[in-house]
Amino acid sequence: MASNPKDDEIRVGVFVCDCGLNIAGAVDCGAVAEYAETLPDVACVVRNKYTCADPGQNEIKDAIRQHRLNRVVVASCTPRQHEPTFRQCVREAGMNPYLMEMANLREHCSWVHPGEWEAATGKAKDLVASAVARARLLQPQEELSVPVTKRALVIGGGVAGIEAALELGDAGHQVVLVEKQPSIGGIMAQLDKTYPTMDCSI
Amino acid sequence: MAEVTTETFRCMMCGHEYQEKVEKGEDKERSCPKCRSNSIWHLKKKRPAKE
Amino acid sequence: MKIRKKARYVDPGLCNACEECAKVCPVVKPDEFQMGLSSRKAIYIPFPQAVPCSYILNMDDCLGNNPIACGKCADVCEKKAIDYDDQDEIIEREVGAIIVAIGMDVYDPTEMDEYGYTRFENVITSMEFERLICAGGPTAGHFVRPSDHERPKRIGFIQCVGSRNPKIGRPYCSNICCMNTVKDTLLLADHYPDTDNYVFYQDIRAFGKSFEDMFQRSKEAGTKFIRGLPGDIEEDPETRKLTITVENTTSGRLERHELDMVVLSVGVVPPKDRDKVSGLLTLSKTSDGFFMESHPKLKPVDAPTRGVFFAGFCEAPKDIKDSVCQAGATASRAGALLNAGEISVEAITSRIDEEACTQCGLCAAVCPYGAIIWRKGEPAVVVEAACAGCGACGATCQFGAITMRHFTDEQLIAQVRAVLAENPQDKVFVFACNWCSYAGGDMAGISRMQYPTTNRVIRTMCSARVSEEMVLEAFRCGAPAVLVSGCHYADCHYINANRQTVKRMQRLWNKLDKAGVRPERLQLEWISAAEGQKFAKVMRQMEEIRETVTMEEIEHTKQALKPKPKKKAPKSKEAAAAAS
Repeated sequence: MASNPKDDEIRVGVFVCDCGLNIAGAVDCGAVAEYAETLPDVACVVRNKYTCADPGQNEIKDAIRQHRLNRVVVASCTPRQHEPTFRQCVREAGMNPYLMEMANLREHCSWVHPGEWEAATGKAKDLVASAVARARLLQPQEELSVPVTKRALVIGGGVAGIEAALELGDAGHQVVLVEKQPSIGGIMAQLDKTYPTMDCSI
Repeated sequence: MAEVTTETFRCMMCGHEYQEKVEKGEDKERSCPKCRSNSIWHLKKKRPAKE
Repeated sequence: MKIRKKARYVDPGLCNACEECAKVCPVVKPDEFQMGLSSRKAIYIPFPQAVPCSYILNMDDCLGNNPIACGKCADVCEKKAIDYDDQDEIIEREVGAIIVAIGMDVYDPTEMDEYGYTRFENVITSMEFERLICAGGPTAGHFVRPSDHERPKRIGFIQCVGSRNPKIGRPYCSNICCMNTVKDTLLLADHYPDTDNYVFYQDIRAFGKSFEDMFQRSKEAGTKFIRGLPGDIEEDPETRKLTITVENTTSGRLERHELDMVVLSVGVVPPKDRDKVSGLLTLSKTSDGFFMESHPKLKPVDAPTRGVFFAGFCEAPKDIKDSVCQAGATASRAGALLNAGEISVEAITSRIDEEACTQCGLCAAVCPYGAIIWRKGEPAVVVEAACAGCGACGATCQFGAITMRHFTDEQLIAQVRAVLAENPQDKVFVFACNWCSYAGGDMAGISRMQYPTTNRVIRTMCSARVSEEMVLEAFRCGAPAVLVSGCHYADCHYINANRQTVKRMQRLWNKLDKAGVRPERLQLEWISAAEGQKFAKVMRQMEEIRETVTMEEIEHTKQALKPKPKKKAPKSKEAAAAAS
């Protein structure tokens, strides 16, 4: 990357998601997109109907190529839901996934401020500004891989624990089942018949 | 026995000021006895009252 | 992971469950499996179908602690399976996935004294009903009332005992009790067609597949469903019959019913061991006390802690079918993780610049994982594989020697400045931790709770990442009010990193106070991922605080908090105090 001096330039792409009416119903997404264009280092702004859907993701990928983006801001929902989605998306377009940042316009804005068009739009602009400011300073990161021990622990030997342990065992995994009582079975073992089939619990 | 002192706290949310016994090294989540806020300022006093 | 395998004192490999030992055992104790309705010996098999199918010796009950006092069972055991000197064993195993299926406890109705569970023998719980009607129960399935062992002719079921009752702190529906009672009435109608069964309820929730059909069958079998929960129960001391008084809310009339026996359809409560398990695995719980999942719809069996999954009741009240479904889901989720063979760790770990490090050692002192190695006279070093990325060290280092990858000081300060660039006086600045308070904000959103539009939230992995400088910068940029929020003490996703948040807040309040800035403008709240309501409430409170702050005050704050020239090295005293 560093070989081409032009690539040192920060080029942010901002993708404003309507999420149908989930966001666009309470926030003026057009105004947010216009505002995003005024922010430093923003090279392109795209408004999507659903950024997380394939067409939306393709728009991100196309824009990365077309505008030589090296930072992406997705202004949609909580990163706790779709951060993995969009990290994967920019990775597929050849970008390091840590160069993607999200602004939470849905859970933290449109869904909690219905009917407050002006104020919610103002807040959304700030959230985008915050994300862009952060994105400009993001650096590529490499993840560390850690081996997973191929063994599962199941805590509790009631119906749920037994079932989970059996399923994992059937799938070929080693399972340790821990039960505090002298016998497995849990509370279900104490029942006589069980609904809705009226058969015995044990 | 761990050292126990009586300490003064102020709730930053409602302003309620109260005293509570504190055991040295205790690990306790604080909340205001009046309004349940977690904004609890531990007011340092020069002379901790020994119990 | 360490497991204590408790001593059984009977070798399950040798025991053939011949029962000779129990025959000679002189100790008689209430049988827990039969809800105390019958007795067992100190050496016993929990129930006939127990797995492992072996007797077990309860050392608390046994006289054999002293072999001179008693050794009868060992004498009669042909297999020589009994060993009084058996010891608990500690087993260590590494695991790649953990399924938490610790179930639930049954509600104890003692506190609801109006139903007289402890006063009247013929008031029983639905769990005791199960044992009384079961062929493997203490009465071999002959359903009798406890006071005189006669068959009851008129039986009443009271629903929602310990459920949907905010007065006793149990506002949630226990999910299973309606259908369990419907099932019980069908069993009675089948075994004893001449009994009269009454069900007192507030709503019958027969929502599952074939539930409505069962409910209708119960009605056809003659069960009388009366809408209304009884106010109290009286007992006739002679006949031991029970009279319940109930307002029938359908007819609006006060009714009295004389019954031979009353079954309290008890709800379920979170398991006793919940806090122990949640402490070990850093799990959080909902306001009802059950475990909180990663996402209520999209990740319903994942715990917020990676590699941990929930199955069964401990996540929320559910019946057997749902428990089995959920268990299958966890097995699939855990299996996918185990099959992957390796996982990548988010690149958010700490890095120390050797040149900038003043070797003060503060970072090592605040690391919850012991992931920073520091020896006097040497720069501190991060063990990357042990670092979880909370950022407590990064916020503690005053010399800029620590970089939190992906959550650098520069990135976070840039966010503070960007948010407060225009009209800062109208904004409440909020630092939220990824796992709890930010997720609490998400929960408020998912639940469409409304709160003032003035707040601006930025996310860090842990509240301990928020440095004094970041908070001061927010005030310098003109923020009228600042909130730092994180996980409750028990929920901290970085063991106990948020204790550093508390210490930092104390220093900040002192500092603000000294600088003549109202310390009330800085607030701290613990908000769990389930506490959307608390998040919304705190946002309203923060807005109230913001409204009290004048422009003059903001200007004064900007001046008062102007950064001082950088210190060269920490005074040893200060360093020690900060680390303690």
